[in-house]
Amino acid sequence: MENALIIIFGLTMLYMAATSRLMAHVRILVLQGILLFLICYFGIEHADILTILFLTFETLIVKAIVIPMFLNKIVKQTHEYRDMEANIPHFYCLVISSVILFAGFLISDFHFPAIKMINPIYFGVSIAVIIISLILITIKHKILTNVIEFITMENGIFLLSLSVAKEMPVIVNLGVLLDVFIAVFILGLLVNRINKEFDGLEVTQLSDLKDCEYDD
Amino acid sequence: MMINLLLIFPIIACLIMLIFKAKWMNNFFINLYAIGHLVVSVLCAVNLPVASSKYFLVDSCNIIFLLILSIVFMAVAVYNNGYIKHETTDVKRLRHYSYMILIFVLSMTGAIVSTNLGLSWVFIEATTLASAYLIYFNKTKTAIEAAWKYVYICSIGIALAFVGIILLTISTGNMNSLSYHDLYDSAATFNQFWLKLSFVFVLFGIGTKMGLAPVHFWLPDAHSESPSPISGLLSAALLNSAFLIILNVYKITMLAGCADFGRGMMLVMGFLSLFITAVFVFHINNYKRMLAYSSVENMGILVIGTAIGGVAMYAAILHMIGHSLIKASFFLTSGNILEIYKTKKIKSVAGILKTDKKTGWLWVASFLGIVAFPPSVLFISEFLMIKEMITKGHYILCGLFVILLTIVLYGLAKAVIRMSFGQANLEKNYDENVKNVSFGMYLPQVILLVMAFILGVYVPKFLDVMINGTIAVLVG
Repeated sequence: MENALIIIFGLTMLYMAATSRLMAHVRILVLQGILLFLICYFGIEHADILTILFLTFETLIVKAIVIPMFLNKIVKQTHEYRDMEANIPHFYCLVISSVILFAGFLISDFHFPAIKMINPIYFGVSIAVIIISLILITIKHKILTNVIEFITMENGIFLLSLSVAKEMPVIVNLGVLLDVFIAVFILGLLVNRINKEFDGLEVTQLSDLKDCEYDD
Repeated sequence: MMINLLLIFPIIACLIMLIFKAKWMNNFFINLYAIGHLVVSVLCAVNLPVASSKYFLVDSCNIIFLLILSIVFMAVAVYNNGYIKHETTDVKRLRHYSYMILIFVLSMTGAIVSTNLGLSWVFIEATTLASAYLIYFNKTKTAIEAAWKYVYICSIGIALAFVGIILLTISTGNMNSLSYHDLYDSAATFNQFWLKLSFVFVLFGIGTKMGLAPVHFWLPDAHSESPSPISGLLSAALLNSAFLIILNVYKITMLAGCADFGRGMMLVMGFLSLFITAVFVFHINNYKRMLAYSSVENMGILVIGTAIGGVAMYAAILHMIGHSLIKASFFLTSGNILEIYKTKKIKSVAGILKTDKKTGWLWVASFLGIVAFPPSVLFISEFLMIKEMITKGHYILCGLFVILLTIVLYGLAKAVIRMSFGQANLEKNYDENVKNVSFGMYLPQVILLVMAFILGVYVPKFLDVMINGTIAVLVG
């Protein structure tokens, strides 16, 4: 069951690569949050009540509700609904992402001895999701999409941490969650500021700081 | 108990400020924390090791980092009293500024005293979030850009470092702990493939925070756009805390028997940092950016020293102390220049020595310190590194090191000489601005520089013992 969910999780990244509507990206974040919750639910066999509560809070409340709601608000405030001018056409984005995801599945199929510590399908898909997110960050042109891709990367890292059949101390988990949440919050606030100061939310506009030709 | 005091005081201070909102509290709490921080660090240094719980510990490994943080923070706090008066009179902004400085220093302290790799990660990410507001403090267009790049690049870098930590837990096999102590103890049993992979991610991730090329891009922007006391803290304290984590992970790779791999990576990044600085410092047009690039260079020297090992490791720790003292002084003095000339452009500044003699001499002395002019302590450290490279037969590395350092020296000297000497713009009258620079904006730099130049002639016994203690822990 969880293998099917993980594959759907990987496929959401393809949709992310192909679409240019920001609202669709936000909806994918909701879907990813729910998928991660289900993966935790089916994947973890014996855990104490505290861990289960924490994971539910992290995936269902924070990843699937709070962050998407916050981004939704920013999209509405900034009136930026589309990310059209990617560096390369969306079709090629889709091709590149598919190739990476396929490579991820290939990794999961390998059985070399060093990989016995981990669950291969988790590992392959999560690495693919992290790499696709990083590539999309370099390709897409709106800073809001960059924030969304940062969150999908964090989701990939979350899946990677699930692939290791060991838990971090609760204090570390809490700290990680808090940090990621605040980072998204600060990035969101900065997006709003940039929207006020600059004309638009293109990455290319953030180029005032240079080494030569500096003028103040 | 003492460590808890360091970590809890800022939170209580923030709460009190939040409740009472009194204007006098803003600077008062920063100064109080600075004094408390220094006293606690010195007390910890006398009674090593000090543990507070299983998560926090001050031992012979991190005490030097803690002491540097205390000294730099003390200097910045004194400077800040005079500086912030002329920056803004908006009480609300001042209060936010004070909150964020307290939280920023708290998270740096946390990153230094954590005994758990995961917790260090959490605190390092917290430093990014706390200092974002400080970089954005001036609220100009460029400040927003710098803050955006800082938060975004560092967050991604640190997220990759977390991937490194997860890979490290894979390499540990059946062990379920991230405490440094446990990791050191069972390092020999780790799976080398996963450990190497993990080191790559941690070095790149935490290296982003430390400002190593090729992932240094946020550094010149953030350091040049933030208020000068903050630039001082970022450069002289934050980069060191990231360095400590890299040192700890490097030690794990050493104990696991794949030190050569880590050494190669660190050498590449170190020399790339020197190279990038040598290229960019040449045509630089903004003196705060110039200092930021100099930080990239010095971080490169630190990892090169660590990678070479032996005496060079001692030199790296000494270099870190010297760099923090001198660079803090350099950045604070750049704040004076900005106050007097109201521009960051090198071409618009000339004749500082005539306009304000004290600032001018501090600027020249900081420059002499940072380019390792004897008796600066950096001279000793760089000399020891070169000596160690020759003894170990790395002649090409040594030649490259010397050439790149010379180019950086030339680039810095060109700018500093142009700014310090010559004739000031006679059409403008800077006397009014010079009056804004109060006594407290000279004193910290003088003390920092005196310390740096004395260390170049004479390293006191206790410091020598401390540095050797740090190396003994880190080299094992």
